Amino acid sequence: MTTQTLSFYNRVDDALRDGSLRTALDRATSRFIGNRAAALAALAGPDALRDQARAIRAYALAHLDELLNQLSDNVEAHGGRVCWAEDGAAARRYITDLARERGVKSIVKSKSMASEEIHLNTALEQAGIEVIETDLGEYIIQLANETPSHIIAPAIHKTREQVSALFTQHLGEPPTDDVPAMTRAARRALRQRFLRADMGISGVNFGVADSGAVTVVENEGNARLATTVPRIHVAIMGIERIVRSFEDLGVMLQVLARSATGQKLSVYTSIISGPARPNESDGPEEFHLVLLDNGRSQILGGKYAETLMCIRCGACLNICPVYQAIGGHAYGGVYSGPIGAVLTPLLQPDLPEQHTLPFASSLCGACQEACPVRIAIPDLLLRLRADAVQQGKAPPIERLAMEGYRVLMTNPALYRASGKLGGIASRMFGRKRRFRQMPPPLHLWTRKRDFPAFPAETFTERWEKRRKSDER
Amino acid sequence: MNASRERMLANIRASLNTTRATLDVEATRMPHTAPPFVHRPEDDLVAQFAAEFAKLEGQTHRCADEASALGVIADILRAHHAPSVIAWEHDKIGLPGLDELFAECGVVALDPHIVATDRKERLQMLEPAPVCISGADVGIAESGSLLIAHGDGKPRIASLLAPIHIAVLRASQLVRGLGEAIAQVRQERGADLFADASNITLITGPSRTADIEMTLTLGIHGPREMHVVLIEK
Ligand code: SF4
Repeated sequence: MTTQTLSFYNRVDDALRDGSLRTALDRATSRFIGNRAAALAALAGPDALRDQARAIRAYALAHLDELLNQLSDNVEAHGGRVCWAEDGAAARRYITDLARERGVKSIVKSKSMASEEIHLNTALEQAGIEVIETDLGEYIIQLANETPSHIIAPAIHKTREQVSALFTQHLGEPPTDDVPAMTRAARRALRQRFLRADMGISGVNFGVADSGAVTVVENEGNARLATTVPRIHVAIMGIERIVRSFEDLGVMLQVLARSATGQKLSVYTSIISGPARPNESDGPEEFHLVLLDNGRSQILGGKYAETLMCIRCGACLNICPVYQAIGGHAYGGVYSGPIGAVLTPLLQPDLPEQHTLPFASSLCGACQEACPVRIAIPDLLLRLRADAVQQGKAPPIERLAMEGYRVLMTNPALYRASGKLGGIASRMFGRKRRFRQMPPPLHLWTRKRDFPAFPAETFTERWEKRRKSDER
Repeated sequence: MNASRERMLANIRASLNTTRATLDVEATRMPHTAPPFVHRPEDDLVAQFAAEFAKLEGQTHRCADEASALGVIADILRAHHAPSVIAWEHDKIGLPGLDELFAECGVVALDPHIVATDRKERLQMLEPAPVCISGADVGIAESGSLLIAHGDGKPRIASLLAPIHIAVLRASQLVRGLGEAIAQVRQERGADLFADASNITLITGPSRTADIEMTLTLGIHGPREMHVVLIEK
């Protein structure tokens, strides 16, 4: 957990120096980008499906009160129990109390960002309960005592040698460089954890209001096991992660799988409503749904409401040049990448330095382009920057920059001149049209990559020329 | 507990006073119901399903009739020297002759009951079974998926616990896309999808992970081998 205590700039510096991290990030993000692009290209109407997804998310937010009521009532009608948790403390208390009352000794968890957001594992462990992460990536980083570096692939920063060393140390497995052998070892170790667990905890990709159901999407089968095998299932869900109906869910599932990993559908989609019914031979005997607010109802009323449309697909991370360079840990919070830079200051406002995150972006716009629900991330980042400047929280250089940005943006003549100056400077200093070295703190960035030089001709100049030639 | 519900709802409503109108405009820009299919539809759904399922490393066994379906299942059981299986109730699988087949192959169908009994002991008894056998409610051609509505006689562990999963599907159960599958489930089950069962699962290929160095590996937690026995008659 040492990464948490370093300052943001130090973490960025470390990440940029770490050659194997850069290789792993390159390999993972480029694969995800390629798969996603191919999956979307194969669709008969990719834009229509994304527009549908956005409309569905907008409806869910606009009617969040009704839909949550409906979900809660339907879950209870099907024999489940619902906890309305205003903050992380309330959610932690409900789950630890429940575990204590039922004499739970061991818990298996499938991936849940919400539980990480509220540090649920720490609370349960302090209560003397064993908690095992069962998603392979999450399991690896739990053994290593680290935090996830990517929403979809939490352990992409680990090499196979590092994983093998962890399995040797913790599972007594012989060292190997064979990935399938490591996977089999993890299956054996985790299978017994499942069969002996008293409680399973899962996240929720989508609550389905009209069915009183929660949907859990995964590829490994660990979420199916965690929600089927133990006697108690607890699902924890951010209140915004809801859709109106089973029919709406059909759109979201297809958009999520394609955006996240380029699959048509993820391997397993479990739609679960309540505990096992009297005529069912398996499934949990108790079902609990924790609805987590933790600041979300506040966000809903302001200029950042759109962030609540996010379906945590990770597409914006993979496409982001900053994320590709520094990885998830440098962001410090649970949520990383472009959307993490927006979400962390909003959902984890107590984190030191969270206000510097919105500045860790080149505002290139790739994230918004990739986002399946078209969240205007660059816009939101700019607003957060302005807020930070206003509250006097921005780093000094950024305060200057933002002031400059304001002057520039409100003064077209100056804006045009600055573009020209940049162009001239580029021609003077930028060898081969790339800046090799940038002034601090951007030198961290240029140490491992070049900064593109300003073009000799500015966009406004080109635009003017185009316009004039079109008029002719 | 109820006080926190009221407070959360009050906060949400207060917030929506400012943003509901804008969000509602966005909400009406497009219809919400999933389209019947999202790829260009193909005429031969059996071939399309088999091709998609192969891309997922799954095996489709196209069978002309029930007798050849039973033959395929017998071959898989023998190849794995399976002494026991975890299976749905046989009439729910919808393939007559399974009882006789198991007897012939010397295979025991384990009792899949784990609810309201000594759950952990039962699970340890079920764990060694090398094969599980289920039916399916719908097959989705364009994604190579099975939709299974679990319930009475249709346990979830019969597609989950063992390393090999055999699913019996009829060609008549195939639809083009997920939207069609959802419409069909809605029509069959009505407004309350979960009136008498707690789970609907979509399965799209064998269990997989790429969490170590992005190397694709099958069977991390669920079955590593998946066979769809597709009866075309
Ligand atoms: S912001 Fe958009 S692209 Fe990024 S994780 Fe959320 S839904 Fe995916």
